[in-house]
Amino acid sequence: MGFIKLVVFGFVGLTVVYWSVALFARSVTKERLENKFDAENPEGDRNTRDAYIADGLREYDTSIRPKLVGLVYIVPTVVIGTIIYTINAS
Amino acid sequence: MQRIKITFRVLLFVIVGSFLHYTLPQHDLVRVTSTEIIRTDFSGWNRMFYASADAGSADQETRDLRLINTQMRDTWLLGFIQRDSESVMVYRNEDTSWGWPPYFKFDSADLHAEAANLARGDDWAMITHYGWRVRWASIYPNAVSIRPVAGPDVTIIPWFNIFFFVFLGIVVLFVRAMWRQFMERSVDPLIDKAEHQIDEVQAGVAKRRGRLARWFRRE
Repeated sequence: MGFIKLVVFGFVGLTVVYWSVALFARSVTKERLENKFDAENPEGDRNTRDAYIADGLREYDTSIRPKLVGLVYIVPTVVIGTIIYTINAS
Repeated sequence: MQRIKITFRVLLFVIVGSFLHYTLPQHDLVRVTSTEIIRTDFSGWNRMFYASADAGSADQETRDLRLINTQMRDTWLLGFIQRDSESVMVYRNEDTSWGWPPYFKFDSADLHAEAANLARGDDWAMITHYGWRVRWASIYPNAVSIRPVAGPDVTIIPWFNIFFFVFLGIVVLFVRAMWRQFMERSVDPLIDKAEHQIDEVQAGVAKRRGRLARWFRRE
């Protein structure tokens, strides 16, 4: 029973963390793209800017970086496994 | 206002500090003198200072509690400074199973056997535990592991706590960065937009009022 509680609440909690981190990482990437474009083309028009940012975000979405946010689920599971082993193996 | 702020911060620090002091592992240097099992009747409020029954068993109002009686080396300052004196310390030895605090301890019976083995001799051992000993409420710290050491003067480095506090610092900084990004990118633009709208409305009102004033002045 305790195990089920841990899995359910752990999953819910980690999902909240997952989405927060995923949105944060994407937002930081977008801001970086905006700043980069503004620095390179001070006179750039709005449509080229939007296209540049959309391209950059598409590239980000296909890269490995957003997938690394999945570590939010994996790391705590590994840590719990390690704790269980070290505490109970004597 | 300043005083309320300081009081609030001190209160927060004390609450978080005691929570961490209760939950994080600490190390004591002890000589195990005996082990015993007593029957315990939990009351409504000291129940939360006990973990659970043996993993896989039913949790009852009343159950047996494993205790480890020891002679402990006294320390000052959360165990950082050793003293020459000794005092008695009694630990409970309960499974925490899958519950809180997350020690995932299932081996109380084995730990009890180890403690009983140590009780035969007079050797020093290091007990890792969490929790407090509160005499007037019959609360005991929960022993998590026990291992023999060379003597009462060994240096113990709390590796887990070092990593924990470094990790906690990183988490705090990360959450702050996330919060700032959220405010900067999502909340501030909304506020700007709202302020802009209010400005426009006020400008409109001023314009209309001007027209009204002119109309009155006309006569």
